[in-house]
Amino acid sequence: MRPRKLLRIARWEVTKNAGGIDRKTAAIVGVTLLLFGAVAPLVVAQGGVAIDQGIYRVGIDEESPLYPVVEDDPTFAIRDPGAELGEEIDVRVSFTRAVSSGTTKGEAALSELRSSVTAYNDRIMRGEANQSAAFPVSVTLNYVERDVQIGPGGSGDGGTGDGTGDGTGGGTGDGTGDGTGDGTGDGSTGGGGTGDGNAGGNIGGGLPSITGSSGTTGAPSDIAPPFPFESLVLAFLFVLPLNFVIQAYGSTMLSERINRRGELMLVSPVTRADIIGGKTLPYFAGAMALEVLIVVGIVTLLGAEGGLFSILAVVPLVLLFLSATFLGAMFARSFKELTFVTVAITVSLTTYAFVPAIFTEVTPIALVSPLTIVVRDIQGASISLSAFGFSILPPLFTATLFFGLGAGLYREEDMFTQRPIPLKVLDSLAGRIKRARSIVVVVAMLIPLVILAELVAVAAIYPVSTAVSQTIWLSLILLSIVTIEELAKSLPVYAGFVHNRYDRSLRSALVVGAFAGLGFFVAEKGLLLVRLVFPDSLPEVQQSAVASAGPVADIGPLVAILLLLAPLLLHVVTAATSAIGGRRGRRGYAVGLSLAIAIHFAYNYTVVMLFVS
Amino acid sequence: MIEARDLRKEYGGFAAVEGSTFSVEAGEVFGVIGPNGAGKTTTLKMLAGLIEPTSGSVSVAGYEAGETEMRYQLGFLPEESPLYEEMTARTYLHFFADLYDVPEDTAARRIHETLDELDLEHRDRQIGDMSKGMKRKVAIARSLINDPDVLIYDEPASGLDPLTTNYIIEFTSRLAEEGKTIVFSAHNLFHVESICDRVAIMSEGEIVAKGDLEQLQEEHGETTYHVYTTVEVPDSVAKNGRYHRAVETMAEVESIRESAQQAGGSVADIRTKESSLEEVFLNVAEDGRETRRRRRQGAEPEPEA
Repeated sequence: MRPRKLLRIARWEVTKNAGGIDRKTAAIVGVTLLLFGAVAPLVVAQGGVAIDQGIYRVGIDEESPLYPVVEDDPTFAIRDPGAELGEEIDVRVSFTRAVSSGTTKGEAALSELRSSVTAYNDRIMRGEANQSAAFPVSVTLNYVERDVQIGPGGSGDGGTGDGTGDGTGGGTGDGTGDGTGDGTGDGSTGGGGTGDGNAGGNIGGGLPSITGSSGTTGAPSDIAPPFPFESLVLAFLFVLPLNFVIQAYGSTMLSERINRRGELMLVSPVTRADIIGGKTLPYFAGAMALEVLIVVGIVTLLGAEGGLFSILAVVPLVLLFLSATFLGAMFARSFKELTFVTVAITVSLTTYAFVPAIFTEVTPIALVSPLTIVVRDIQGASISLSAFGFSILPPLFTATLFFGLGAGLYREEDMFTQRPIPLKVLDSLAGRIKRARSIVVVVAMLIPLVILAELVAVAAIYPVSTAVSQTIWLSLILLSIVTIEELAKSLPVYAGFVHNRYDRSLRSALVVGAFAGLGFFVAEKGLLLVRLVFPDSLPEVQQSAVASAGPVADIGPLVAILLLLAPLLLHVVTAATSAIGGRRGRRGYAVGLSLAIAIHFAYNYTVVMLFVS
Repeated sequence: MIEARDLRKEYGGFAAVEGSTFSVEAGEVFGVIGPNGAGKTTTLKMLAGLIEPTSGSVSVAGYEAGETEMRYQLGFLPEESPLYEEMTARTYLHFFADLYDVPEDTAARRIHETLDELDLEHRDRQIGDMSKGMKRKVAIARSLINDPDVLIYDEPASGLDPLTTNYIIEFTSRLAEEGKTIVFSAHNLFHVESICDRVAIMSEGEIVAKGDLEQLQEEHGETTYHVYTTVEVPDSVAKNGRYHRAVETMAEVESIRESAQQAGGSVADIRTKESSLEEVFLNVAEDGRETRRRRRQGAEPEPEA
């Protein structure tokens, strides 16, 4: 890859697309954006657009103690108290007594007035110097992270919060995990409670105003279910713009393939990497600019913490979106198909990035998404290097893999063919296979995708744990992991057979099967090595995902060596099994793969039952 | 300038090109002709480095096909004109000039001159709004933007009206006169005959004949002798007061002379007519089909009753 050429292509990519928009349209879009940019902050500053402004008419005298309440609430329109109830006003207030007109609207107005009075009182009390007097009963809630352990024998400790008051107004609260799930409060003598500020333990603790809340008093009326609304908003903010960027990016990549438009670039003195990099760079830069703006906006406007980690964590996410779209654009045969592909990418990657990040405070499994790092960073929670690496490395490697597979198809012979998507998938894998040995590298290359898929599978099956027995749940986890791993080992081998990269003899199938098993084993043991060298470097959720990589209990050295080599034998046997089936065509492959999954599952289940528990 | 040795391209067991060996000298115009699906485009794309041969080798201007340095020496014009339609002609050409490292001022001058020569107006119009002929001219200008020594043109006048076709063929002739090495493929054999020094005829992936036009006519064409006599001879037809008969060998001509003399007349005129490239092509294609049919029958004998 030559940066000079890459930048030239990037520059022309921008120019080319700019040529599709005439000056008048560009001016209209620019003015609209400017107007929107100018008006939006004003609207937000004034509390948004109040569509219910003045909806209820209240007859009230200025002498009434409730007058400030009605005046403060824009829902109410102040009228003369002598006006006719029902016709001219919905509620009449005589000093502190309110009477509705008796109509449905009148009852709704009265209910709204009661809510306004309560909110007004709370506001006044919050301003009192003596908070103990204002709020004699105080409850402190601490949400403690659920301790997650995947696999048999694991036990989850519940977290509890207890609030204690010392009677002098300077109480403290702490959160402890005792597994009993109860909480007690003894602040009967009156005391203010304060949280312990445990990062990640308080919902939205680090982001005071994104949801418009004005702080809590500790009063029982403030207690709300721990719905992670702020995490949801943040995750949504970061993921949404990427979906727009990939639409434009997918279109530009596919348009290179329509009518062979990209052919002349391929014959120019530039490499495939230059072309792909140059065409991707503007979209990457655009997406990153949007994400950085969002981070800066949150940090400056809302006074949130963080910044750098958020921006760094977004990089692999942006790359993952772009790489998946690139690969999809290489597979799709028309813009119609591209629409389906991008929708599939949008849904799956948004789910992957968005859903775990919502539960940032609830479970460490949320760390499978880099957005969790973003949310934590913005909420001011601490982020360990291992958690950061755990979140960003799988999507980063997966993005690299997707770009690599797509680049394999970015050549005259594959770009302009109209083959169905499944065959294109096989083409992309076969493009990397030159001889039997190549299968080692191809299978090893797929490991990041395997890890990512396994993490997502674990996260998806995780909620089922409460609904089924532990054995069934464990079996589901193992089956999903085994299926993913066997697909990763066998698909490149099958692609090789389909593309006549090697002959279809039994000997050939055994050899390439053995190479596939070896490639998987080597890459998988690479992960184990990381675990052994840096024993505390990986969060517990990753340990669960790579549990099959080696022994996890106290075992003797002989058993340890056996368990280290046994997976090699396992991977070779299962890969050879599916290869033997794959040499006989699609149906044979399905049979071989099923058999390989069954063998692998039986092995994993036995190992887990014998050693992990 | 171009050396192709034993080129073979296989797609899933099907050989699109098989055993093609040829060379093109510097300054030569080399035509590749053949019916649809004969492997012409695949061959040209292998020369351009767009398609990697399954086996065999190609070198262009001393570089292996596909090498970056080789691409600087090459101008490729595919059968279609796959242009970026949202760009203007001028912007599009500047874009490719940039990719070929042509300095800005050289590019501007070259674009101006080439588009003048090609008589292309509306240079700042978006390509999408241009006619097919204008787009073809833009594509040709693009192939010349790096002032290459070697040009590979795949059906440069395909689908164009006769006027534009003639213009493009004449323009290609001028390029040949300037000393460019050109590999040229076309279905219109008259065009090939008019500008090519040598021709390769392809059929079902193989080069079945190659050489200059004389060689091809000698090897695969037919010479017809039109003999006019003053008296009637066997199988002759009366025409303008004389008798006409067409034969294919000199022995037959001698036989007609003797017959005329025996009848008290003589041979008034003998005219010789050589086969056109089109006739040579049809002969070669027919021979090729017959050879392959026999070869297939030899490899797969009819099942015994």
